[in-house]
Amino acid sequence: MSQNIKNYDVVVIGAGNGGLTAAAVAAKSGLKTLLIEQHNLPGGFATSFVRGRFEFEPSLHELCDHGPSDNLGGVGNLFKNLGLDVEWLPIPDAYRMIITGKGEEMDIVMPFGIKEYIDKMEYYVPGSRAKTEEFIALCQEILDAIGYIAASKGVTDKKVMMKQFPNFLRTAPYSIEQVENAMKIPQKVKDILNAYWCYLGIPVTRCNFTVFAAMLLKYLIHGAYIPKHRSHEISSALEAKIREFKGEILFNTKVKKILVEDNKVIGVITDKGERINTAHIISNATAHTVYSSMIEPACAVPPIAIKSANARRVGPGGYVVYLGLNKTAEELGLKDYSYFIYHSTDTEKLYDSMKRRGNDIIQATVCLNVANPGCSPEGTSIMSFTTLFAENAWDDVTAENYVKEKNKIAYRIVDDFEKSTGIKIKDSIEEFEVASPVTFANYCNAYNGSIYGYEPDSWDSLLPRMMMMEQDVLIKGLRFSGGFAFRLHGYSSSYASGETVALLTVKDIKEGK
Amino acid sequence: MAGKLNVKIKPIGLLDMIAFKNLVPNRVKKLEAGSLATLNSLPNVNKLAGELHPKKQVFVIKEVIDEAPNVKTFKLVKKDGGKPATFRAGQYVSVRAKVGESVLTRPYSLSSSPKEAQEGYYTITVKNSSKGFFSAYVMENWKEGEELETSAPEGSFYYEAIRDAKTVIGICGGSGVTPFYSLAKAVADGAEDFNLIILYGSCKEGDILFKKQFAELEKVSKGKVKVVNVLSEERKECYEEGFITADLIKKYAPKAPYSIFICGPQIMYDFVSKEIKKLKLAPKFVRRELFGEIKMIDKAQGYPQDAFGKVFKLTVKSFDGEKVVDASSDESVLVALERAGIAAPSKCRSGVCGYCRSKLLVGEVFIPEDIEGRRAADIKFGYIHPCCSYPISDLSIELPPSQTL
Repeated sequence: MSQNIKNYDVVVIGAGNGGLTAAAVAAKSGLKTLLIEQHNLPGGFATSFVRGRFEFEPSLHELCDHGPSDNLGGVGNLFKNLGLDVEWLPIPDAYRMIITGKGEEMDIVMPFGIKEYIDKMEYYVPGSRAKTEEFIALCQEILDAIGYIAASKGVTDKKVMMKQFPNFLRTAPYSIEQVENAMKIPQKVKDILNAYWCYLGIPVTRCNFTVFAAMLLKYLIHGAYIPKHRSHEISSALEAKIREFKGEILFNTKVKKILVEDNKVIGVITDKGERINTAHIISNATAHTVYSSMIEPACAVPPIAIKSANARRVGPGGYVVYLGLNKTAEELGLKDYSYFIYHSTDTEKLYDSMKRRGNDIIQATVCLNVANPGCSPEGTSIMSFTTLFAENAWDDVTAENYVKEKNKIAYRIVDDFEKSTGIKIKDSIEEFEVASPVTFANYCNAYNGSIYGYEPDSWDSLLPRMMMMEQDVLIKGLRFSGGFAFRLHGYSSSYASGETVALLTVKDIKEGK
Repeated sequence: MAGKLNVKIKPIGLLDMIAFKNLVPNRVKKLEAGSLATLNSLPNVNKLAGELHPKKQVFVIKEVIDEAPNVKTFKLVKKDGGKPATFRAGQYVSVRAKVGESVLTRPYSLSSSPKEAQEGYYTITVKNSSKGFFSAYVMENWKEGEELETSAPEGSFYYEAIRDAKTVIGICGGSGVTPFYSLAKAVADGAEDFNLIILYGSCKEGDILFKKQFAELEKVSKGKVKVVNVLSEERKECYEEGFITADLIKKYAPKAPYSIFICGPQIMYDFVSKEIKKLKLAPKFVRRELFGEIKMIDKAQGYPQDAFGKVFKLTVKSFDGEKVVDASSDESVLVALERAGIAAPSKCRSGVCGYCRSKLLVGEVFIPEDIEGRRAADIKFGYIHPCCSYPISDLSIELPPSQTL
């Protein structure tokens, strides 16, 4: 092993979506870049795994904000600018939502496209057109305002904001429910609109409206896309770009310590004991992980870092059942790609059920073949069933009862799916795998198994986080990307955060910060 | 497309615009109000992940048991006095050892049961095969009191109630019996709930492993475990003779759907696969454990014969620099790395786990079709699994670092 200490302009910790993008953009911008990843694969949650004849998608349901080549969204443009080699497939419909709760049963399918979405809403809720149009128009204003803020790099013209985006300013501090109620949206329209709440992971009573509005509209405008070869294709394409731009990647290596001197980053130490010098770190590892165990010396952790981490709530852990089925989607009767199955329309009740490993389990289920017919061998299909667990739901599980507890949930979810759709799948299971919060913790070092980031309550949502990006740099040279960072969670947000943070690091270096 | 919003959203709170202006001060206040209590660096979920999937386990050999000529069982206890990681009957561990200048790994199925892991130990059972470089090392060097290092439990050769039939026909030969010994114990002690009929092929009666133990398990399990010994080189009463054929499977299999699990050397697998085809079972009812590296690569379908017998140059790029080593066409890229004393990541050595994933920069390799276990995007972007890739030209690869011993 070489005894010379290596030097880099920037070290990126973690090859998750944010870290990969950050490393690619930093390397492309000419920085001497090193990406360090503890696992042997790029992508974090964005990967794939093979069981028998099947290659499974671990986490991506549908990529928001990509869009078709003639209508690219933000992430679509980011990938285009990087020159990513990924084959994209469109998702046919937005979602099917099934509500199983007594007295509020519902089974609806909503399309992409603004006009199509409003028409379908009118079909399910006659007389709702005007209200839905108004709601969508508000979402459009929100999206335009965010675009304006991003383009003005945070330095906005107050007059423009007041004149062009008054409703944005008015609604930004509020939750989804507060805004919907203020607009007097009919209950059933609300229930259908709110279907995507589980992608944000907190009840509509707490979830900030701005972030929800932007997501909903991006889906409606650009549709949703998936890569042909599971999300490992995106991660590998990003990895290829990092190499092409002369960035370096170090797999199977964990950053143990971030070295800090005079409140400035000076380097890292790896689990192999190697020291690497750098004045700039982009951490895809969460603030919780970094400030609880990685800063060296520990006394260099600013008190506000601890206070901030304690003030925020870590989002839910992921749980996914993967099935390789020995019948086709058509044979099984699976017509839809995406199924949201909820036992209530009350999202507080749903969130509450996520705190336990009980009988009421929400699920966001996908049949991959509906959008990607070639994803499994002829005569077969792939399904994945995702649910979320909040807070301490897994705290009583031990190594001894883990498999039993894990499988109990899987059986329950598959049962629920069969009951609520009438589609029988159990007899066709050829491959069965489960990823629990423990699995996400194992492969990705996800804090408490969380697949999301800090919860997007209104006080800690997109806008205040974006407006405080510089204030949130607590140790000079240490910035964060990924789902826990300023763009909130989700694939597209994490990619976007990686790009922004890399550009800010380039700026820091230019300005000699 | 809906037009520009022409209605003004009615005020929600009393002073919405002030609320907007207060977004930042409000967040500052909220963050400041957070507690200074030490952050929990290891929530239970992460702690559990570490217990279930430790990066490595260091063991001391507690006992060496002679099972048969050339077959030994090693009882392993944790060096730190703790319990070994829990596992599912049928799983393996990857053993890592430094042999000469090379860091080698070998996957060994655990022959102990999950309950025995709870009691504080694993066992692995090793057969010294005539060509086995590593097994010879094991026989020579693994003595009571010696230390060794393994991975966490790995692999998916286990029973899954929602997927498999209620009866499993286990087909095995030689030391391929080890995962079935673990499964049989798990059925007998109630940890697993299915019927296990093991068709166990040996050359001669003296080669049969765990004979007495299996007889006891048959009794204790109240008929849930049944073992049928099949001898290929001896005729004896109470034993089936010959090979494990479709007819033999039919003789012992129930009418209802049953699953077949296979674990044995490549040669047995090749034979049994043809027999199982005759049974016309759906693929979901046939599962096989990995059998390690392909032997006699030149006999594999599609192998470019003109590459055989050659020694190629293998350029290995890593974070620490570059090295050029020899790579013989009849051995995998992984073996070439190991022979050259380069520490390379590996676990299953069968092309499946993907732990050895490396970027092929220049050159061509041969990958036997039936052990192609790469992700589709890895094929697209030029990654290989060195453990099942055979050089057919000079090569250059980028090798990720390995776990250190």
